[in-house]
Amino acid sequence: MSAAQSATEPRTPADAGMTPQQPVRRPRGATARMLRSPLGIGVVIGTLWFSATFLVMPNVTLLQATFAPDGELSLSAVERLLSSERALRSLGNSVALAATLAVTVNVVGIFIVLVTGWFKMRARRVLWLGYATTFIYGGIVLATGYAFIYGRYGFVTNAVANVWPEMDRDWFSGFMAVVLVMTFATTTNHMLFLSSALAKIDHQSIEAARLMGASNWTILRRIVLPTLRPMIFAVTVLVFLTGLGALTAPLVLGGQDFQTVAPMILSFSRTATSRDIAALLAILLGLATIVLLAILNRVERGGTYFAVAKVASPLEPQAFRTRWGSIVMHVLAWALWAVYVFPVLCAVLFSFADARAVQGGSIGLDDLTIEHWATVLTQPDALSPFLVSVAYSAIASVVVVLGLVLVSRALTTWRGRLSSVIEYVLHIPWILPTILIALGLVMTFDRPQWLVGGQVLQGTIVILGIAYVIVKIPFTLRLLKAAFAAVPDEFEDAARILGAGQLTTIRRVVIPIIAPTMAAVTALNFTSLVDDYDAAVFLYHPLAEPLGIAIRRATEGDANVQAMSITFVYTVLLMLVQGFVLWLVYGRGLRRRRG
Amino acid sequence: MQASKTRALRATAGLALAGVALAGCASGGGDAGGGDASGPLIVYTNSNGDGRGEWLTEQAAENGFEIDIVGLGGADLTNRIVAEVNNPVGDVVFGLNTMFFETLKAEDAITAYEPTWSDEVPQDAGDPVDGAYWPLVDQAIVTVYDANAVTDPPADVSELWTSDYEGQYEVNTALGEATPQLVVAGILAPYADEDGEVSDEGWEAVDAYFANGSPAVEGSDLYARFEQGDVSYGVLPSGGIIARDAEYGTDTAIVPNADGVPFVTEQIGVIAGTQREEQAQEFIDWFGSAEVQGAFAQEFNAMPVNEGALAQANPEIVELIDSVERADIDYALVREHIGAWVERIELEYLP
Repeated sequence: MSAAQSATEPRTPADAGMTPQQPVRRPRGATARMLRSPLGIGVVIGTLWFSATFLVMPNVTLLQATFAPDGELSLSAVERLLSSERALRSLGNSVALAATLAVTVNVVGIFIVLVTGWFKMRARRVLWLGYATTFIYGGIVLATGYAFIYGRYGFVTNAVANVWPEMDRDWFSGFMAVVLVMTFATTTNHMLFLSSALAKIDHQSIEAARLMGASNWTILRRIVLPTLRPMIFAVTVLVFLTGLGALTAPLVLGGQDFQTVAPMILSFSRTATSRDIAALLAILLGLATIVLLAILNRVERGGTYFAVAKVASPLEPQAFRTRWGSIVMHVLAWALWAVYVFPVLCAVLFSFADARAVQGGSIGLDDLTIEHWATVLTQPDALSPFLVSVAYSAIASVVVVLGLVLVSRALTTWRGRLSSVIEYVLHIPWILPTILIALGLVMTFDRPQWLVGGQVLQGTIVILGIAYVIVKIPFTLRLLKAAFAAVPDEFEDAARILGAGQLTTIRRVVIPIIAPTMAAVTALNFTSLVDDYDAAVFLYHPLAEPLGIAIRRATEGDANVQAMSITFVYTVLLMLVQGFVLWLVYGRGLRRRRG
Repeated sequence: MQASKTRALRATAGLALAGVALAGCASGGGDAGGGDASGPLIVYTNSNGDGRGEWLTEQAAENGFEIDIVGLGGADLTNRIVAEVNNPVGDVVFGLNTMFFETLKAEDAITAYEPTWSDEVPQDAGDPVDGAYWPLVDQAIVTVYDANAVTDPPADVSELWTSDYEGQYEVNTALGEATPQLVVAGILAPYADEDGEVSDEGWEAVDAYFANGSPAVEGSDLYARFEQGDVSYGVLPSGGIIARDAEYGTDTAIVPNADGVPFVTEQIGVIAGTQREEQAQEFIDWFGSAEVQGAFAQEFNAMPVNEGALAQANPEIVELIDSVERADIDYALVREHIGAWVERIELEYLP
């Protein structure tokens, strides 16, 4: 859940479309040229159909039913909301959290990118693997995992309390705890996208600076960071959105003093009479995003970016110049590594431990058991939810990436009024929470709709897949546009001069260049969809139960005291699936580089 | 560089292929949409946890019913059925409480049917007016403590919700869920007039309840918090008591409540517009019968409403349920206003 942002035209390399632009004159006749190209027409028709059918119609239906149930517009939601101190405070907390994370995640994320990609560190691969754990471990179990370690009765708290009994057991809660946990949990985008931007920096310019006597620090400050600025800005926006939509970490660790707005939105969207407040809060969050983006744009404006070399010599790890510099960086890097890896190891441990022992805060050897694994793996059809979710997520994430390759290519090639409109529309899923999008789909497609050939989609296995494609559109579009912006025009011109058609150019020239981004986005989409609950709850077909629902089922129930351990079993299983996907995309590359 | 690109492409393609292949396996025979009359009976429920779903599927199969269970939380399930009202996917729904069934009735999402066992259950436990839904299992929503740890419990629940016990009892703030909603309904209902207007006194009671309570901790069971000494009292549906006593070695006792406690009565009904109405009715006749309910009660420590099934129920449970007074709550009224009440609490009274 997050919010929309202004659609600006990328002009800088590696621009995720969120970099600030000086006011540009829009090239004239772009729309006309777009409509003269067969590819352009195809993309426009396809996108307009999809947007009208799946983005506009369901959400209009829903908002209509929400704000004007009897055909008459009622804005009592505004009144009810403004009189609530709690809601406004939560809204403020969400914005504060987003702003704080924008700083902290960048500090940690850039540090991680530098120690894994820039400096010559010992066991760099192991470091990378440790930091990459954010890719496979997230959501509610991450938050509860942290709570079981550092919370009121967590291991670490217990251990410290043994030595120093008068300590404050609630030390790890509230704003500070939420910021820490979310900082360590959301560096994935830095890992994937900032690292690849770093790898594109021209080695020769760094050599040149070195020859002129620049220190490591100067090179970092004057060459590396300015070159990375567009991508840093892009991932900062993603961090912002994560902070605004923060759900589980505040819920588990925020305590009474730091609750955010997302849990409220979720709970209001589940009650028919309060749904207008949920929609209103979501829209307010959207507005907050737009305001913050405008401020960031202003701050960022006026930066000149270092050109990334077209014929880049591959970047080589930089050796430390001083011994103490090396020591400090190694100590920091490995301390951070421990912070990242510890919760993952604990999750594995918890999955083998008795729930009571975990919740009681001390695990002895007697408490270890494989009972939970047996429960999960021996239940009838234990495997089927995994297969269903893997299939849905894989298909949806591939479809959305392939579809948007053409769309974002068209949007970057022909920058006219029409493409701006299309881009705005494609951001609708960022404004509304998934659960409302799903409800809109059910309410729209429970009858034949001529836009989908008179079919009734609700109650079929297709509709959940459509929902998954929808919710992943904005994120995918953003990053693909950034990747396209980094493709040098000369390559395409050369291909065209040699007689290649539009599609051939895309297939043979453009796609190979943006393939790493495509793969990374596909993998990220996949991992975020595989344990989805919010969309599935309204849309899943009875015969194809997805994983998110199965996990809920396994962990609910009045008499289920082992629920927490079972959640951790699923977490570890999910880690295996997601780790496998990560390996597919990056693993063999690591091995090759090592060899 | 080039090698890494083709690798990434191949990985993407591999993922896509794997997905398509898996989809093929997963959806084999999966196109049974809402419309057709053949295929298994789709049973919607929020009561399939703790192995109940598997047990039911198995028992049903032995008796000639091919069923498929769709299990979701109470509020989500109700929303889903209401959203699907124009093109229902499910055939039967059971396990939801009276309040949720009142919502389904108001949205015309269920259709009345009188099962063969209708005279074995007390009429007022279900829907005496229209007979749209029928009772299966009873649960009391009680305030519990561990008698091993607490020696001087309050004489009445109302004493608990004061500053004397500040921070000593757990309050569940997840008001989208059924049990916390019932707790709130239990507090507010006595103060509501027939238009659902709650007096200031009622809101003060709710305010005191939440202000002095310790909010539930996501991921931590109430009894785990008992064990840690974090809180001493908390609310629990009676169905969870036996399993917890066995697990935590506690001796659960109930704080008395002079006004009576809210009861959850899990109901069953036919979803309106189903193509398999006859099968749905046969399933209800079978599932609600004294024999099946008795077996269910025995297996899962439930308290059956069907009088013929009581003999098979765990005597401990029967005794426990008999020991508490049933609060007199007008569920039709509560159903109509609970949304607004919960909203006001979320906006103004939650900590």
